[in-house]
Amino acid sequence: MRMKWQHSILLRYLVVAIVAFALTSVVSVLVMGTLTGARAQQRASERLEQLLDTVESTVRIACFVGDHSLAEEVAQGLLKNSEVQGVRIEAGGHTLASLSRGGVSEGGAPLVREVHSPFNHQQVVGRIVVQPNVREIARNTRNEVDFVALQFSWQVSLLALVLVVVMYQFSVRPIKSMSDRLHRMDPQAGDRLPMPRGHANTEIGRLVDDVNELAGRLVSSLDEERSLRMQREIDERKYHAIFENAETGIFIIAADSLLSSWNPAFARLLELPHVEDYEGTLQLSQLTWENPARLGELVLSCLHHNHARAGDMVLLLKNGGRRWLHLVFNPVGEGLVQGVVHDVTGHKEAEASARRLAITDALTGVANRLGLEERLEYLLRDYRLTQSGGFALLLININDFKRINEGYGMPAGDDVLCTVTSRLSSCIKSIDFLARIAADQFAVLLVNISRGEDVEHIAGRIAFSLRQSYFLDGTPVRLRASMGITLCPLDGDDTPTLMRQAELALDRAKSDGGDTFVFFDPALAEAAEARRHLENDIRLAILRQQFIVFYQPIVDLQAERLAGAEALLRWKHPERGMVPPDAFIPIAEKSGQINEIGLWVLESVCTQLALWQSQGLMRRVSLNVSGRQIPDGLPTGVLADVIERHGIDPGGLALEITEGVLIADLDKALEWLAAVRELGVHIYLDDFGTGYSSLSYLKRLPVDTLKIDKSFVQDMSADSNDYALVEAIVAMARSLGLRVVAEGVELAEQAELLRQMGCSHAQGYLFSRPLPIAEFEAMAAKLGG
Amino acid sequence: MLPLRLLACLIALLSLPAAAADLVVVVNARSGVEHLSHDEVVNIFLGRYRQLPGGQLALPIDQPSALPERALFYRLLVNKDLPQINAYWARLVFSGKTQPPLQAANPDEVLARLRNERGAVAYIERDQVDARMRVVYELPLLP
Repeated sequence: MRMKWQHSILLRYLVVAIVAFALTSVVSVLVMGTLTGARAQQRASERLEQLLDTVESTVRIACFVGDHSLAEEVAQGLLKNSEVQGVRIEAGGHTLASLSRGGVSEGGAPLVREVHSPFNHQQVVGRIVVQPNVREIARNTRNEVDFVALQFSWQVSLLALVLVVVMYQFSVRPIKSMSDRLHRMDPQAGDRLPMPRGHANTEIGRLVDDVNELAGRLVSSLDEERSLRMQREIDERKYHAIFENAETGIFIIAADSLLSSWNPAFARLLELPHVEDYEGTLQLSQLTWENPARLGELVLSCLHHNHARAGDMVLLLKNGGRRWLHLVFNPVGEGLVQGVVHDVTGHKEAEASARRLAITDALTGVANRLGLEERLEYLLRDYRLTQSGGFALLLININDFKRINEGYGMPAGDDVLCTVTSRLSSCIKSIDFLARIAADQFAVLLVNISRGEDVEHIAGRIAFSLRQSYFLDGTPVRLRASMGITLCPLDGDDTPTLMRQAELALDRAKSDGGDTFVFFDPALAEAAEARRHLENDIRLAILRQQFIVFYQPIVDLQAERLAGAEALLRWKHPERGMVPPDAFIPIAEKSGQINEIGLWVLESVCTQLALWQSQGLMRRVSLNVSGRQIPDGLPTGVLADVIERHGIDPGGLALEITEGVLIADLDKALEWLAAVRELGVHIYLDDFGTGYSSLSYLKRLPVDTLKIDKSFVQDMSADSNDYALVEAIVAMARSLGLRVVAEGVELAEQAELLRQMGCSHAQGYLFSRPLPIAEFEAMAAKLGG
Repeated sequence: MLPLRLLACLIALLSLPAAAADLVVVVNARSGVEHLSHDEVVNIFLGRYRQLPGGQLALPIDQPSALPERALFYRLLVNKDLPQINAYWARLVFSGKTQPPLQAANPDEVLARLRNERGAVAYIERDQVDARMRVVYELPLLP
């Protein structure tokens, strides 16, 4: 590598050293020359003085004696010295000897010395004059100066050389080698500066260490930098890949809804070209949205509140279809909004379908209860807004539908329901609404109708239509339908009210025997209110122990003495006085309170029985059990527990059931009855004869005693039909091994007839009305128990 | 060094017989010279002038070297010992033309030459002085 001299330390150093040495040498030689010259002069005169000293004693003698020869001898001796040009010895005013060498005698102070007597140093006897040889002295001086200068220059040059060599060896060469090495060095390939030999602990060694350490740090920083850059690149590629391949549409818009970037999924979802292929500007709001204003609201709200906003929007597709898109807007600062888009068409459709399903009855395809309520709400809302468009709600119950299912099977029942549905549809207009809201219950909404006459007309048509025969396996079956009708806005203007009113009217229609329709009447609502009031009172009655058990004696007709009693519930209401069971038992049955009341009665009766049994009175007490209590309201386990707790003979206890219990669930009822009998408790079949159960039922029923309904006994006379009937029942019971209790015996004649036909027991006002326990004992004594 | 040397001289002088200590410079009575100064004695005996004050050629005579008088004379005159005096004369004898005083073979020859030669000058014991001689300079006594 070529470099100018000033770019090389060594050369620079050399030049500086040489110049410095040269200057120093010149100055030094000049100074030393001057000094040396002066000293040489001085030494020359000193030498001459010394020369004179050596000959002084002889000169003294020569001068003292005035001996020319001796003086000449001395002068010649002196002249042998080249620095002496001439010698003159004088004594006593005349010259003893005068000698000088050839050549021009140059000026210069002669050396004059007085000569004293050898014997008297105060006495001057002559003088000696020495003329110095100036040229010779000058030459000698010059030689000496030259020699000194030469010697000095030589020494200085040697020193300079040594310094340069040392400098080169110890500084320049290691630095140059380091520099050359640094030029070629690739620190990332692991190259490092080698340590110059012998410099491990010098400044250069430290410099090498520092450079290597710096290189190491540089390399590690570079590595770190590179790995970071690579990581960033990978990340960027990754995010780019996510952006490119995402199924979700991703985009960025400015506040003016100008799209600045979007990914392929976005282009796909919104039927746009790729962002790279798109020329010109595009506003998100200009796309074919069904409701672009909503989009603008979302974006502005997102920017205004600086908070994410989401919404579902419908995009109208080029092929005429609709696409539901879920958009989420996220403010990312500087007026930019980043958004994502999902296709939620599938979800929306599924949702709509699910909602349709939720409000549709699967069997008939018409709306279900939910659908009805929804429709009702819609109509009510519409009415409230417009104050026009009254409508009527009809609840239609298919009476005895259970019998179809039980008698002909579920598929037959379903067929009937479908037939009913189609008949109902044909009776109403297309804008009217039909729903099936329970197994055997339908609802019809007749819209834009307010006059009761019009409704009555349609209801009549429906009733007529439903009354037609249904064919089940080719067999014509007739069904009766009950209808409850309420009018909006005449009767009410909210869903729960209308529904309740329609139900009340339906209940009324049912209790009127079915196959008819009943318009809602405020009296129905009042009755319902009263009933609810009563339910509350019953609850309080249980808590406040307002119930009382009355006992009506049952007498043994044959033995003419008291056999036991029927326990009858009485309610001593604080305001209304004694409330008859008919007034609250049905309500208690409906509300489920009957279970609690039943248990209370059982407890009460067992307490009484335990008392009687402890007194040795073998009386049997029967108590009424409602169909609602069987089987779960009065579990046999609880019954057994009560009996055991009171320690009574279960034979003293009887449960009276009616045929009605058999209608609900025969198998479970039979099971329950068997379990009760297993406990040793007797079963009485109450109100026998009023129901429609067949005799085959009776055979299967595990009962001990039949109680002949008082309607037969009351009108019984010796030659009446009732007499024959009662006699038949008694005969049949006897043949089945059952006892018979005749109820409602009011006349002694009836008692006599019954006794004659073999009826074992009877109860009625003839013997005693139901009595509180306090009065019962007195009556028992009178009856002979 | 000087005190040592002086001490040595003193010892040497003391060793001399007391009688020999009194040296005088004498001339022939006929010479006409009455008195000589110390410098005149020095000039005569050490070769500077060979003339007496009256113009008479002076003939200095040295006692024989074996006798103590000679050493004593030069000691007392120029405070030099004999080797120094001999060296002085050696230079003049080898390079120059001046001659040293006549060296007498014995003291009698000194006396004889004093008596017989007009220009004779010598140094002798005071008690050896007779009528034919005249004391012209008295050497100082030893201190």
